[in-house]
Amino acid sequence: MIEIIQQIINGVAIGGVYVLIALGLTTVFGILGIAHFAHGSVSMFGGYLTFFFVTAWGLPLIAAIMVSLVVGLMLGVLIELLAYRPVRDANHINAFIVALGLTMMVEGLNLEFFGHEQVVIPTDLDRVFNIGGVTIPELRLYVILAAAMLIVAMTLFVEKTKTGQAIRAVAENRDAAILMGVNVNTIPLVVFSISTALGVCAGVMVGSLFAIAPGIGEGLVVKGFAVLILGGLGSIPGAVVGGLVLGITEALAAGFISSAYKDVIAFVVMIGVLLFRPQGLMGKA
Amino acid sequence: MLNITDLHVSYGSIEIIHGISLEVRQGECVALIGANGAGKSSTLKAICGLVPAAMGTIMLEGRDITNQSGHSIVKAGITMCPEGRQVFPQMTTLQNLKMGAYTRRDAEQASDIEEMMDMFPILRDRASQAAGTLSGGEQEMLAIARALMARPKLCIFDEPSLGLAPKIVAEVGETIKRIKEMGKTILLVEQNSAMALRLADRAYLFEAGEIVLSGTGEELQSHPSVAKAYLGH
Repeated sequence: MIEIIQQIINGVAIGGVYVLIALGLTTVFGILGIAHFAHGSVSMFGGYLTFFFVTAWGLPLIAAIMVSLVVGLMLGVLIELLAYRPVRDANHINAFIVALGLTMMVEGLNLEFFGHEQVVIPTDLDRVFNIGGVTIPELRLYVILAAAMLIVAMTLFVEKTKTGQAIRAVAENRDAAILMGVNVNTIPLVVFSISTALGVCAGVMVGSLFAIAPGIGEGLVVKGFAVLILGGLGSIPGAVVGGLVLGITEALAAGFISSAYKDVIAFVVMIGVLLFRPQGLMGKA
Repeated sequence: MLNITDLHVSYGSIEIIHGISLEVRQGECVALIGANGAGKSSTLKAICGLVPAAMGTIMLEGRDITNQSGHSIVKAGITMCPEGRQVFPQMTTLQNLKMGAYTRRDAEQASDIEEMMDMFPILRDRASQAAGTLSGGEQEMLAIARALMARPKLCIFDEPSLGLAPKIVAEVGETIKRIKEMGKTILLVEQNSAMALRLADRAYLFEAGEIVLSGTGEELQSHPSVAKAYLGH
């Protein structure tokens, strides 16, 4: 029993990372209808950046994360303006090609700037808590708390603020949103800023829990899309539930079956869910 | 209040509005009638900035709003209650109403919501329900209330009776009459020409992208070609 709880907690930590990636993907998809494949690589860029600020500039971890977040917010604006806006009114296949090209570019830049060695963001959060036989490393606990805070903040932003409601409105009915007076040129900028910043947070989490290396971002974005489909496309609760289900399934599979097969098992579970709920766990039929 | 001069609209290389001119005066209810595809909805879309005007000018209170972006036209004072209602289906009735006031920054939005719920009591019952779960008639009332939430100078209704049961159609007609009595300026597009001409002070008849006839509601009702082609008597 303790072993199960242990694995579930491990799963919640990695699931939290998946949720943050998926939230960025789902808001972008909801509003622009594009699969932003470069999101994983951009997220890794954020992780690398934090690593760089900590190791090369000697910034404290929190300060390094803050600076990376600001860079992430601005990077999101640039990605929307330079990469996706020019193809906004074109066929969706064009945006798809742009997304693939952008992925390669960002991966290439990561390689150029930060090298091909894997890096781990150093933290001094190495205490281990023991609660009734379940061990929780301090870092993992902070990752879970930070992910939870970001998810709550994102939900409040979308549900309670005028801009958040406008984002939802554009996602639900773009023309009607224009008729309400929503500026559909600025909304995508906001969406890309926020999702890139969330991606940066996820990158920092991956970089401190595990490691960042070339190719990790692409794996992460695939997981992110799997979460979207599992949870229900374009839905924030779906991204949260989907991310946690995927993370916990992986951790249980790794703990009790084999860590070599954890991805296979997670995807088998996902296919199983979709057989019975094609609209996803939280999606509307 | 609204002056359109020689408006041309094209989709791609095909021109579908061939230079129309029309006017809506303060406090008036003006109807655009005509067959499906005659260009009424495209005219509305050009006014609201959803499709570009290829030529001509659209003026609101002496200000040129031709080809301005959709959101600035809303700010200028025109809102449209679109064809097919177009509520935000997964947002609640209340959230839909609040979206209607998106461009407003004043503190009276809450009291306006109360006013709308007094006007359409069903919306109060449905306040926390997702708009997509409302019936067609309820959604039409929500779409009308949402449009009024912007406190527009000119309120445009695009086919408000389309796809509704006859009893609800009559209710929609009553509602538009009440909005007119509140002193709002209305531009109404309807395929239900009989209802439109009863409500309208003046009307324009569209045929194949041109205005072929205009006059008061009564004049058009009794005009032989209108009576024959559009009123069925």
